[in-house]
Amino acid sequence: MPSASERLLTPTRAAGGVALLAFAAVALAYPSIAPNPYLLSVGIVVLNYAVLSTSWNFVGGFTGYISLGHGALAGLGAYGTGLLVTKAGLPSFVALAAAAVMVAVLAVPLGYAALRVRGASFVIVSIALVLVTLLVFQSWASFTGGSRGLNVPRPFPGLLRPEHHRVFFYLFLALLAVALLVWWLIDRSRFGLGLKAIREDEDKAEALGTPTFAYKLVVFVVSAFFTGLAGGLYALWFGDLDPIFQFSILTGSYMVLMALLGGVRNLFGPLVGALLVGSALEYFKVEFGNTPLHLVATGVLLALVVLFMPDGVLPALGALFRRFSPTTDSSIREVTAAELAAQRTGGDLHAQSRNG
Amino acid sequence: MRSLETVELTKAFGGNVVLDKTSVSFRHGKVNALIGPNGSGKTTFFNCVTGMIRPDSGRVTYGGTDITRRTPHVIARAGLGRTFQLCRVFPRMTVLDNVLAATRPHGVNLFRGARGRAEVDRARDWLTRLGIEHLAGAEARNLSWGQQKLLELAGVLMSEPETVLLDEPAGGVNPALLDRIGGLVRDLNAEGRTFVIVEHNMDLVMSISDHIVVFDRGRPIAEGPPSVIRTDERVLGAYLGV
Repeated sequence: MPSASERLLTPTRAAGGVALLAFAAVALAYPSIAPNPYLLSVGIVVLNYAVLSTSWNFVGGFTGYISLGHGALAGLGAYGTGLLVTKAGLPSFVALAAAAVMVAVLAVPLGYAALRVRGASFVIVSIALVLVTLLVFQSWASFTGGSRGLNVPRPFPGLLRPEHHRVFFYLFLALLAVALLVWWLIDRSRFGLGLKAIREDEDKAEALGTPTFAYKLVVFVVSAFFTGLAGGLYALWFGDLDPIFQFSILTGSYMVLMALLGGVRNLFGPLVGALLVGSALEYFKVEFGNTPLHLVATGVLLALVVLFMPDGVLPALGALFRRFSPTTDSSIREVTAAELAAQRTGGDLHAQSRNG
Repeated sequence: MRSLETVELTKAFGGNVVLDKTSVSFRHGKVNALIGPNGSGKTTFFNCVTGMIRPDSGRVTYGGTDITRRTPHVIARAGLGRTFQLCRVFPRMTVLDNVLAATRPHGVNLFRGARGRAEVDRARDWLTRLGIEHLAGAEARNLSWGQQKLLELAGVLMSEPETVLLDEPAGGVNPALLDRIGGLVRDLNAEGRTFVIVEHNMDLVMSISDHIVVFDRGRPIAEGPPSVIRTDERVLGAYLGV
């Protein structure tokens, strides 16, 4: 049971609640207030990034395993959805759900192999996943369309482009809300505490009885499911898939950057990161065209985050708020045996007085 | 009788044989100590017993069940809890969460909260018993070394082990805390817990142990009660350098 101090509505929490309500209000109204369809599509791209980064954060945030291969899972979700629509003739949203389930199922053997290694080795394995899937989807042209790409029919052919954007904006928003809800549920559960113990010290967590490998695998599958959903929804919205973009190492890198920027230990960290990085990427693309400048800017941003806000924007803001609020921290000074005895006696007297 | 035994347990790192067909048995319900010079294989022994590293050959049994090559979490669930030589806590979790992380049972259930009233009460009881309840809300990384030692022990005890393996509990701990740890071990032993303690502080070992096993070069060279070990010539030669 949380202590009284933990239940208190601190200024940090109050500010967070206000920010969340403001974001929700702006997000719900955005399709109506966006000045043009282009800016509405930018909103969809940013939401897509937010879902992807939040999905990545199931693994990265809880367990500390840094995957650069989540772009492959998003690509599999996108191509899975597209192929199930074009080849199997499934209705769009049935194909979307089926593709996400397939990605989750595929994540079991992938995770079984990849999660046996830690640290840099895991990062390299995850990169290999992207490269292998890129090669397969480029080379298997008879099935995937190869470098010619794959056209995915729109699920709402009667809608004009602005309406199409509006519908998908809300679909992405709903998906983001579900992903955040599941992340929050895990965060407050005993399962989530076990995952965080893995992040802090995997060997110690294991020694305390936590089935670390099973926990990592489950959360990897959950992460893959949401990543697959985000990829599939993107395929239905954008309608044109190319392996070079779908299975790009950049996609996974963006997910990591966004989560790191916002704060991997925070529910809304990836969302904040997506808002900042997604908007910046679109700005650079508009201002400087198809130059690699946006990649340079991304690298600079990552360096700045690592140097000045290693825990991300939200924890940095939280620390700033706490600086102006009265501290509730207790002293960590070691107590002597006499002081301890006095504390206990005081506690007993307090308990007795409470009990009447 | 849930006794902990090894039969010809062997572990080598490269050409360095750290455990050499080690066969020992620890008394159930007692405070057992495992002592020996640095590099005699004590911590490797703990690591092999708790599944942290795999022995090259030999067997580990606990309560008659072969637990060799089982994963650490399965061994922990069997009732063997341990601390580490270099104290390990979850540094960026609160003291309370450090203890709650050891709550049983584990499992994937999104609707079973991490901070149920019963679990929190039990965790706070352990923190109170170890004298660090006032630090419940602090991040573990901000605690002193001695406090982290106590926190590590609280976490292990929260996991309800029948047998507790303590790897150098007195290392870097001030005399007052040392007394507290020694007293706690005796109290918990009186409540039925078995202890196996690796320790270099001979005053602590001799004062709290019922049974002592002495290692040298990966093999037990002597065992018995403190009164016997204190005067054993092999021990005096190998360990105390007399």
